Amino acid sequence: MAKNLFNIDDALLFESELGEEDRLIMETARDYAQSKLEPRALKGNTEEYFDQDIAREMGEMGLLGVNIPEEYGGAGASYTAYGLVAREVERVDSGYRSFMSVQSSLVMYPISIFGTEEQKHRFIPKLAAGETIGCFGLTEPDHGSDPGSMVTTALKVVGGWKLNGAKMWITNSPIADVAVVWAKAKESPSDEGVIRGFIVEKGMKGFSAPHTKYKMSLRASETGELVFDDVFVPDENAFPDIKGLKGPFMCLNSARYGIAWGTIGAAEFCYQKSRQYVLDRKQFGKPLAANQLIQTKLANMLTDITAMQMLALRLGKLKDEGRDHPSMTSLAKRNNCGRALEIARIARDMHGGNGITGDYRIIHHMMNLESVNTYEGTYDIHGLILGREITGIQSFTPKG
Amino acid sequence: MKFIVSIKMVPDVYAPFQIKDGELLMDGDRMVLNAYDASAVEEALVLTEKYGGDVEVVCIGAAKASETIRKALAMGAAKGYHIQTNGDEAYDSSSYAQILADFLKDKEYDVLSFGKQSQDTDSGLTGGMVAQLLNLPYATNAVGLEIEDGNLIVKRQGDSGQEMIALPTPCLVTCSNDMNEPRIPNLKGIMASKRKPVESVAVSDMNLDGAALEAVSKVTSYSPVPARAAGQKFEGEPEEIATKVAQLLDTEANVL
Repeated sequence: MAKNLFNIDDALLFESELGEEDRLIMETARDYAQSKLEPRALKGNTEEYFDQDIAREMGEMGLLGVNIPEEYGGAGASYTAYGLVAREVERVDSGYRSFMSVQSSLVMYPISIFGTEEQKHRFIPKLAAGETIGCFGLTEPDHGSDPGSMVTTALKVVGGWKLNGAKMWITNSPIADVAVVWAKAKESPSDEGVIRGFIVEKGMKGFSAPHTKYKMSLRASETGELVFDDVFVPDENAFPDIKGLKGPFMCLNSARYGIAWGTIGAAEFCYQKSRQYVLDRKQFGKPLAANQLIQTKLANMLTDITAMQMLALRLGKLKDEGRDHPSMTSLAKRNNCGRALEIARIARDMHGGNGITGDYRIIHHMMNLESVNTYEGTYDIHGLILGREITGIQSFTPKG
Repeated sequence: MKFIVSIKMVPDVYAPFQIKDGELLMDGDRMVLNAYDASAVEEALVLTEKYGGDVEVVCIGAAKASETIRKALAMGAAKGYHIQTNGDEAYDSSSYAQILADFLKDKEYDVLSFGKQSQDTDSGLTGGMVAQLLNLPYATNAVGLEIEDGNLIVKRQGDSGQEMIALPTPCLVTCSNDMNEPRIPNLKGIMASKRKPVESVAVSDMNLDGAALEAVSKVTSYSPVPARAAGQKFEGEPEEIATKVAQLLDTEANVL
């Protein structure tokens, strides 16, 4: 019989497929997350508190803009490395990963792709260092899955644009120095308008970012609105060429990719804690782990996690080779969020009463993953994206 | 001062392992830089950042050990030496010490620094053996290092105080992981590390005497840590419990 070990945390040995550089980056992210983020997570969730030192720390570690070119202050590493970082950060809390994803994929990334050379040099290095915090405004109070119907407008005026409207469910907004905002740009008030991107800065007259209250999920990160009341944005803060939904969708695709990886970390945490809990906890004189019901739950978790790891690893390789398609990311984001949420719910159940308290940190993941399953394209919307690919028929617009 | 730090790739202590039929099965994919060596690298970096100088690292291991060298380079070391093995040699501490001493005998350095032991075997032998083979003054289990008047000042923690030893250079020291918190290399360091020089040499090309490399000790078998027996709980009046516990300590535990 072969003397090989069955690794109960990495059943098909996916980490052995990683290149040297990606593994070193994973190790750095893991060491940082476990030593600096894990001790803050309980307070973060309990008191709804995001320690802004985290931005600078992540900047110093190079965890912001992992795959942004080095010339703008990013690390210039692979997509796989970016995914591995997301996994390690989300192993602690989806809120911290959300902060990082938004900064990297939804702020630094669009500026690096759509921005002018001047914008890239003006904004990205400070964002990479965590000296400034960014947010991304696409979703509106009445337009979530259907962003094309947005009502925020940017009217052309001399020297710039005048923004009016509101964005909602915006990660980082109350603490952001910079907001990448998508609005319908109009040359005149009667124009139909075309979606364009603007870099709105804190302190611009008429711009406010109120905090969203009573959030029961992602409590360790900040969420708020973006309100524009005749905000003048100078021409030099507008993305010059990108028009239509392609711009925001490219950003979302990058962030969704990180989510597909991040959820693996959350799921692994829940699985590993559950395993330890059922081995330690005795009822009727035996460990809970001695029960068939418990064992098959763990078996399902490990099977799902292994599939999630394989999907993410393969998608990362395809992205690094430039062979990816946005629907591949939809498939991975949808599957991995759905599986992680299910694993967290079952883990909560396996922890019994202890799963209800924050001490065991399972319920934080369970609550967080409700948001993660919903944001950046809900589970069902990604199902419709795949449905359209499979059948050639779009079914986003209801036929009734 | 110039430091050469000897580093080792060891299995991640958090990786799962099994013991079957007296043999140790480890997940060979989860390998990390030995924590004691990481402390030695960190301290060398701190001292050279303060007083100037260079830090180089040397590592014996199979091709895969290049990752461990890169980790030290990402932390800030300037250069690596990779002494390559096939990975299936039956080496023990003595064999490694022979290889290192031969490799280092013509190198220039002020301080050879080692972790005081490795996490996988906890032997703690190689550093002392290399010092003997190279005829260097040495100190073990350092918890702090300083440089003063060209000497390496080694702080050792004793049972009832600290011992300060001044070693003239060149010298050798083995480091405890109590001396510092090794830095986590940032991504900039990791990306820059691939541009740093690593010299490789195969053990088979070193013209070493084969007999000298033969292990002088061998592990005969592995066994798991025995499970701890359940404790006993005593309830009742304090005086009665105290009497009973004292009796048991005397008659059963035989510690009184």
